[in-house]
Amino acid sequence: MNSLLEQFLSEARDFLQGIGEKLMQLESDPTSTPLMAELFRFVHTLKGNSGLFDFPEMTCVLHASEDLMDAVRNGRVNYSQTLADQLLEAMDFVGSLMDEIEITGKTGSNHFATSTELTKALRALLNAHNAVYVPVAIETYTEDGLAVKAISWSELPELDLPETVAMGLYRCSIDGETVFWLEYTPEPECFFKGEDPFFLARQIPDTAWRHVILNNTSSTLAEMDVFSSQLVFQLLTIAPAVELDDLFRYVPDQIHRVKIPALAFVKPNGRKDSQAIDDDFINNVLALLDKDEIETLIRTINTMLELSSPELWSSSVLRWALQLVDVEPENKSAQRTLLNTLRAQTPPDWSSSIMEMNEPRDMVTVMPSVSVNLSELSDTLLRDFNVVINTQREILSLGGTWSAGRLKSIAATLLGCYRAVQKLHEVESIESALQLALTKNSPEPLLDWLNNSSASTQELVFTAEEAPIIVSNLATQNEVKFGRRTEDAVITGAVAASKMLKVDQDKIDRLMNLIGEMVVAKNALPYLANRAETVFGVRDLAREIKAQYAVINRVAEEMQDTIMQVRMMPVSFIFQRFPRMVRDISRKLGKEVELVLEGEATEADKNIIEALSDPLIHIVRNSLDHGLEMPDVRLAVGKSVTGKLLIRASQESDRVLIEIIDDGKGIDPEIIKHKAYEKGLIDETTLERISDQDAVNLVFAAGFSTADVISDLSGRGVGMDVVRSAVEKVNGTVGIESEVGKGTRLYLSLPLSMAVTNVMIIQSNQQIFGVPMDIVVETVRVPHSHIQRIKQKQTTVLRGRIVPLLSLNDLLASNVEQLPNEDNEFATLILRVHGEHVGILVDEFRETVDIILKPMTGILGGLAGYSGAALLGDGSVLMVLNPRELI
Amino acid sequence: MAIEYKKSLAVFDDFVGVEDAEALLEWFQKNPKGKVNFTTCTHIHASNLQVLMAVKPPVVAWSKDEDLQLWLEPLLR
Amino acid sequence: MAKTILLVDDSVTMLMSVKNNLEIAGFKVETAEDGVKALAKLTAGLKPDLIITDINMPNMGGIELIKKARVLPGFRFMPILTLTTEASQGKRDEGKAAGATGWLVKPVGGADLLKIIKQVLPGA
Repeated sequence: MNSLLEQFLSEARDFLQGIGEKLMQLESDPTSTPLMAELFRFVHTLKGNSGLFDFPEMTCVLHASEDLMDAVRNGRVNYSQTLADQLLEAMDFVGSLMDEIEITGKTGSNHFATSTELTKALRALLNAHNAVYVPVAIETYTEDGLAVKAISWSELPELDLPETVAMGLYRCSIDGETVFWLEYTPEPECFFKGEDPFFLARQIPDTAWRHVILNNTSSTLAEMDVFSSQLVFQLLTIAPAVELDDLFRYVPDQIHRVKIPALAFVKPNGRKDSQAIDDDFINNVLALLDKDEIETLIRTINTMLELSSPELWSSSVLRWALQLVDVEPENKSAQRTLLNTLRAQTPPDWSSSIMEMNEPRDMVTVMPSVSVNLSELSDTLLRDFNVVINTQREILSLGGTWSAGRLKSIAATLLGCYRAVQKLHEVESIESALQLALTKNSPEPLLDWLNNSSASTQELVFTAEEAPIIVSNLATQNEVKFGRRTEDAVITGAVAASKMLKVDQDKIDRLMNLIGEMVVAKNALPYLANRAETVFGVRDLAREIKAQYAVINRVAEEMQDTIMQVRMMPVSFIFQRFPRMVRDISRKLGKEVELVLEGEATEADKNIIEALSDPLIHIVRNSLDHGLEMPDVRLAVGKSVTGKLLIRASQESDRVLIEIIDDGKGIDPEIIKHKAYEKGLIDETTLERISDQDAVNLVFAAGFSTADVISDLSGRGVGMDVVRSAVEKVNGTVGIESEVGKGTRLYLSLPLSMAVTNVMIIQSNQQIFGVPMDIVVETVRVPHSHIQRIKQKQTTVLRGRIVPLLSLNDLLASNVEQLPNEDNEFATLILRVHGEHVGILVDEFRETVDIILKPMTGILGGLAGYSGAALLGDGSVLMVLNPRELI
Repeated sequence: MAIEYKKSLAVFDDFVGVEDAEALLEWFQKNPKGKVNFTTCTHIHASNLQVLMAVKPPVVAWSKDEDLQLWLEPLLR
Repeated sequence: MAKTILLVDDSVTMLMSVKNNLEIAGFKVETAEDGVKALAKLTAGLKPDLIITDINMPNMGGIELIKKARVLPGFRFMPILTLTTEASQGKRDEGKAAGATGWLVKPVGGADLLKIIKQVLPGA
């Protein structure tokens, strides 16, 4: 994955988070302008960023979201819960796409439908409020100044064109080139916008003639304001209209662009002398023209030219006549008009000839657009439309390899067609289909689109006058856009420097592993010192090694501590999802809940925080589902309609305490007792003797679920026992307190960090094992004689309490008796497991050590009874037991 | 320095920016018979162009940049 | 001499992408995350040949940045392009009215970016 994509994902997640938060906040303050502005900015930036990559489905949905938020912030659409729901759903979709991108580096092709659906839903919200959605490209078209500033060529100022230039342009024109007259009048203050009109004018391609006019209003140089533009640029160019419009896209209102018909260039000039040509000659050439004796005509004219002075106006007419005969031999009327000017020596009037040519494109004036049904359109147009569409369908059905460009050109054609007939809502779906086609590198999505949409062509609405122009302009615009996309393929680079670093978690983990190894390596030094003394007998060296060890030990510990700090993250990381979750669930249940979060800044190790996430979600779901009552029930028992849910985090020495407190109906111990009894979790005697608190604790027992009806919320087949085991896995504890009718308090206590574990090493059956110190209550030696057997179970009495005894060898299913010491005493670990004391018989106790516990992976990962393994200083592997699972 | 002023000759070099127009105008006011040399000039900002068009100074040498010369010659000749 | 461009955008992703494209094209690129930071760089003596700024940013947006930069000594004639995804013409016009030379529409690819910059920055 390239670094830009990584940066995008990381930043995008922040934005998604921010969008969620802002929406939550808007819920309680739906008219807040700053909130809306910020929300818009998040969506807007996210959309902008997504455009850097080829994730069409994502961009599509974000685009619709952006438009919607834009409408909201401008007050065109009111904020509503439905709107928030829709946006949240869209953001969830974007989030899921990002998950996929994170894993595979791209988005799959199966999101098209969801994306389209979401987009439609968002657009529907927009339209429902009468906000008019205008696709981007279409809007840029309406900027096009053509229709607005239409002036006719005949209104143009007299151009002082050299005859050769004019003749060249005339020929170009007849050969099919379009010649534009372009007048560019920069606004006076344009220099103060960083513009250089001269530079812009010089960039006009294919300029055949150029001129600049200075409209100097000041009489003296001293009065001249050099920084106020007084220039007017005039040009003739054969550059395509789109290129010109693109070049002047920042100042479209400052240019006039008019297409010049070929004959308009036919303007003889020169010195007029009425004596130069006599009527006989004129009659003669006109007669030759009528008789179609062209060769003779040319010869006659050439002879006359040789006899006359070239500067004469009449000579110019004759030269033009030769041009016309040569270039447009069929256009006899033009030739006649031109030759007739020799009589009165007045410039030819081409207006009637040019009108006949019917070149309306650039002289279109804005007419009220007439919307008509396609069926009412002229047959020709309908036929043309269908011919184009069918051709595209045929091309798409062809086999062979499909290059991206080929797909794009077809899409561009389709876009052009549909835009031309003003079927704008198809535009987006064509684009989506194209993106999909490009991803798959197959024509099928486009073909599918065509086949599905063709049925609707009958309702096409068409704006007759504008159609031809739209087609030509938009098709080109699209190509420009496609070009852009492809340029973005390879982008890598450095991130802007900032004081906060976002570091890949893998790197931190690696650092963690390294410091773990360092600790292990460091722990080898005391062994070495020991060997130096006992094996090699050098005490001084042993002492020096020990001294050095002390230094390394201190540094290593500090290092470890620092890395721990890096891994610390605030609980807000998991808390932040609760507002949304509580809102969604409570709305679904029809309950009213006020969520209060406290202590969000409390920090704990990343692994702990992550391990907390699922249990917490489960607990919160439970509280909402079972704890808090429906509003009418609450009202009936004299509580406020709105239930309160408090999630609080705090630090207590080296542990994090998380409390989830609700003011709901609480847990009735009687119901729990009987449920547990029914399910066979407790026997009759327990049922009678059990204290209320112990009864409440039964909710954590495996296989217990209080829900009368399995709802789709908390009844997902997991109960509080799953919560307990998840919490215990990270050496946490979970507890519950409840008062009927008042509410419930659940609390989780977790270590701040799980990186270093203090374990006691014990020996059993010639192997060593680790046991986490935090569950070891004490170590005792139990004489063989003190062990009693009650119903197949070994027990002993310790400080007046009966403690069940279990043999570790038995627990590990190795059929070996535990070894007592010389005094026939058994080494016994007293552990606190699930709130009860249990004695584990082992062969021998060893030292306690700090280890970096690594969970087991692969095949070993499925092994119950072990919480992980660690390396010891001498390089051996220590298996660490998980007594909770073992017993 | 994009315009080098020598006694009665202003030598335009490379790209002459918008800010230079003020000094150019002042120079022409002090040297009404000042001439200009465009040989190594590639572009002048429009602000300079309008000063030159107002003054119409004699041009000692046209630009080697053909396009620039195409623009300037008809205006200053 | 390489031209310097000041690039202002609150999205690090966008900064990274555009900066990289500009650097490939041979420009020297300075970046700022919002209008306030950009203005601070300008007042501290940075004299870019072109400013490219996002419009919608926290603290200080692009429109305000342009207005404030234009009154700083030495920035009245500087080409400034707005960088925007805004579909509506409104933001661009607002930018132009505030003194922007033109605009870029995100996402801007390498060649496109260069083409537009060459149009507004003589000698680039």
